[in-house]
Amino acid sequence: MIKGSIHPISEFLRESINIFRDLGFDVYEGPEVETEWYNFDALNVPSDHPARDMQDTFWLKDGRVLRTHTSNGQVRYAETRKPPIKAVFPGTVFRNEATDAKHETTFTQLEGLYIDKDVKVGHLIWTLETFFKKIYGDDTKIRLKPSFFPFVEPGFEVDVKHNGKWLELLGAGMVHPNVIKNMKLDPDKYNGFAFGLGIDRLAILKYGIEDVRLFRSGDLRFLKQF
Amino acid sequence: MKILRSWLEKYIKTPLSDEELADSLSLSGTAVESITRGIDDRVIIAEIRQIAPHPNADRLQLATVFTGDKELCVVCGAPNIEVGQKVPLAQVGTKLPAGTLEKATIRGVESFGMLCASDELGLGDDHSGIIILPSDSIVGRPLNQYLGSSTVFDLEITPNRGDCLSHFGIAREVATLNDKFIKHEPQNMETISKKTTDSISIEVASAEICPQYQARIIENVSIKESPTWLKDKLTALGLKPINNIVDATNYVMLDLGQPLHAFDAEKIGQKIIVCKSKKGEKITTLDGILRTLDNKTIVIADEKKSIAIAGIMGGKNSEISDTTSTVILEAAEFDPAFIRRSSKFLNLSTEASYRFERGVDSGGVEYALNQATKLISEISNGKALSGIARQISKPKKISIRIEFEKIIQLLGLDIRHDQIIHILKLLGFEISGDTCTSPTWRHDITTWQDLAEEVGRIYGYSNIPPIKIDKTVTPAVSEYFFTEFIKDILKNSGFSEIKSYAFLSEKDIEAAQIKSSSLLEVANPIQQENKYLRNSLIPNLLKAVAKNPSFDQTFLFEIGHIFTKTTESNVLGIVAAGKDAKESIELCLENLSKNAGIQKVKINEISRDELSRFKIRKPVTYVVEISLSEFAKKYLKSSQPKLTINSETTHYRQVSKFPAITRDLAFILDKKTKSVEISNIIYSVSEAINRVELFDEFASDKFGKGKKNIAFHLCMQMLDRTMTDSEADAIIEKVIKAVEKKFDAKLRS
Repeated sequence: MIKGSIHPISEFLRESINIFRDLGFDVYEGPEVETEWYNFDALNVPSDHPARDMQDTFWLKDGRVLRTHTSNGQVRYAETRKPPIKAVFPGTVFRNEATDAKHETTFTQLEGLYIDKDVKVGHLIWTLETFFKKIYGDDTKIRLKPSFFPFVEPGFEVDVKHNGKWLELLGAGMVHPNVIKNMKLDPDKYNGFAFGLGIDRLAILKYGIEDVRLFRSGDLRFLKQF
Repeated sequence: MKILRSWLEKYIKTPLSDEELADSLSLSGTAVESITRGIDDRVIIAEIRQIAPHPNADRLQLATVFTGDKELCVVCGAPNIEVGQKVPLAQVGTKLPAGTLEKATIRGVESFGMLCASDELGLGDDHSGIIILPSDSIVGRPLNQYLGSSTVFDLEITPNRGDCLSHFGIAREVATLNDKFIKHEPQNMETISKKTTDSISIEVASAEICPQYQARIIENVSIKESPTWLKDKLTALGLKPINNIVDATNYVMLDLGQPLHAFDAEKIGQKIIVCKSKKGEKITTLDGILRTLDNKTIVIADEKKSIAIAGIMGGKNSEISDTTSTVILEAAEFDPAFIRRSSKFLNLSTEASYRFERGVDSGGVEYALNQATKLISEISNGKALSGIARQISKPKKISIRIEFEKIIQLLGLDIRHDQIIHILKLLGFEISGDTCTSPTWRHDITTWQDLAEEVGRIYGYSNIPPIKIDKTVTPAVSEYFFTEFIKDILKNSGFSEIKSYAFLSEKDIEAAQIKSSSLLEVANPIQQENKYLRNSLIPNLLKAVAKNPSFDQTFLFEIGHIFTKTTESNVLGIVAAGKDAKESIELCLENLSKNAGIQKVKINEISRDELSRFKIRKPVTYVVEISLSEFAKKYLKSSQPKLTINSETTHYRQVSKFPAITRDLAFILDKKTKSVEISNIIYSVSEAINRVELFDEFASDKFGKGKKNIAFHLCMQMLDRTMTDSEADAIIEKVIKAVEKKFDAKLRS
């Protein structure tokens, strides 16, 4: 019998999810076709705000969108649960742009969310450090740079030191009080952190893949290597 | 946004190198995307002496240019060159953003350099033509002396930081990082006794759409080219100089962040009205386009007509022309949400709208107006009238409690209250006891969390210690785990997972004969491939079969979402094409039934017609499509599947576009030898081996006691060309030797 294979993105997701599961994170998959509310407004991205331009969105003719991030799972998941809330949201996300070796319309994200009392920036750092040490080795370091994503405050760009070089690998931050409110929780009582990992980018770095489009090429010469 | 270092230094000087400055900006939240050093000395000003057609290419020309001491022939593809023009010439050896320029032969003609467009010099994105320099430029001089060669930082300003969209704004950031606070220099301006308010009046329909509108008048202006220093600055930042009035407004916008607009006073009435547009109203904007407005766009009007789309673009009917003698200069603050909505509605984004959408400094409007008035008076010999015509509503001031303890807790930093206050003061906050108010240029700060971010980013995040989070009970498994478990069953049945796109194109639905009326449709696809959302995984699986003609067995699966107009479901699709397709898919379904309870699944054979529409050349192809959620629910009631993690190291080899050579090798060796060890050795023989696939393994004493037969497909490919048979033979020779030596193996012939 010929040998079958698992897609490298699935493989990398499994490895990542296992690490978070060991820390007690649940796994939740939201829908890919999403309402404007869960993809944008609930995450503190109102329609008249320039932050909407940060992502090129596929709008559907019925007014819904193809989710631009798996952050759409944040409010969907948390609004029916009580803290402590710990979950990761794996899934496919979409950007409406022309494709080339570095740009894709379709890629895979793993979003993480932790809501509790007294969550601190230090908790986020520890969690991400733990993750990247397991993925890239014990000497991996991370650093935070201030940045802006409307659903977090403070917001960070997270750099990871991999093979001696700082790489900008993900966005993260402390969940914005408005988002906590939309989860039907009291922002004076609860806070938390969130982060969004781009799985394609991480897998590209791990395996040294030269063209992001290979992931969705269906080319067996590529797929059978994994 | 582009920032010139020399301009920044008008406000703050630092001893930092370009890289150090970029790092400190990046670490405090202003990401620096690139640093472009001044233009290389070898880019000089040259004069075009002669233009001739290229003998071998219709779209190229041969330009003979004079460099001050010699004439050179340069091949040029831009349409806008003419004899007599002064243009930038990059000589051979010049370092350009794209790399070092070398002497090249272009379609058989030698080119001794390159005439440059803006983008080629790193001055902007404009590639529409060669930069045409003013006719008084001195031939032979390095261009950088002319353009004021200074480092240009390209910054990525996040949408919350409208206050950073100017040189002064960035200088303010740099100052804060250096423990300083900078203020505007005091202004002094000469005016004539005639009053602005005697000539015009301002009426603002509501403060909601326009919190302030201010205007000044400058008389007796003469419209001409701007002075060189001004044109240089604009050009260096990628803006086209137009005339002295427009250039001055652009300069002040880049300097202070306040967009301004100049009207020709003779073309408009004496009353300036700021109001919402009437539905269906039409206005021709400065770009010459006639635009139809809705009833929610803010316009500037006089008693008779609209003269500008507020905050976005001026109207043609009040444009500055060569004969303008009196200028009305506008500086205003418009509601960001209104401007953004209209900019989207009109599909028109400008430097001005970009800034208004993000919020301008409500305390800096008058200063910018005065600065521009002064500059225009100076460079146009104009006379400014005294006073300002204006309508201003009282600014909203939000006071925020400084929750010191919460800030310290959240950040986990060892920082004192007085340090927090010091940082907030440096940033321009007014402090009164435990509360503060934001500076007029910051519209993004309303909560204590926002203050925490300001404190953190200036103090530095590098000192925050990691804190372990409590491990909690691992939650029950969800459908994700079932899906991954299914993937393992398929893999072990010989199938390979693909991930395709969630889309179908017009061509796809034609091949699969799907009615478009049943599909969810994308409203704004950039690419035609992204027109519809798939309602089945099968079309993309069949496309993947067609893409893999070199495999005599193509067994694929995908698990993904499919869509109808009202539903979204998680589905497994399987395709088997080629040799043993039927048996393989049946065996696979048997495994799914046995291990995961997936039953009563129908296998479909793809018709010959459909195969040919998908350009599949394999004779038989079978497909299966199964919705997973119900099976998942059932299965997860009694089982908790675990994720299997592949512990083998993957040797990733780039996939070449050139034809591959495949050879089969069989060895007889000790039956305990693992196939992975053997394939690892094979891979290590040559980079050209991009696939080693086990296809037969059989232990029997007939091969010798404790021996087995093991066979591999070897796929070899060159990345840059087609591999020859003799090259393949040489690699195979080496592989045989390596395996025989390492494992005491014998080639089975």
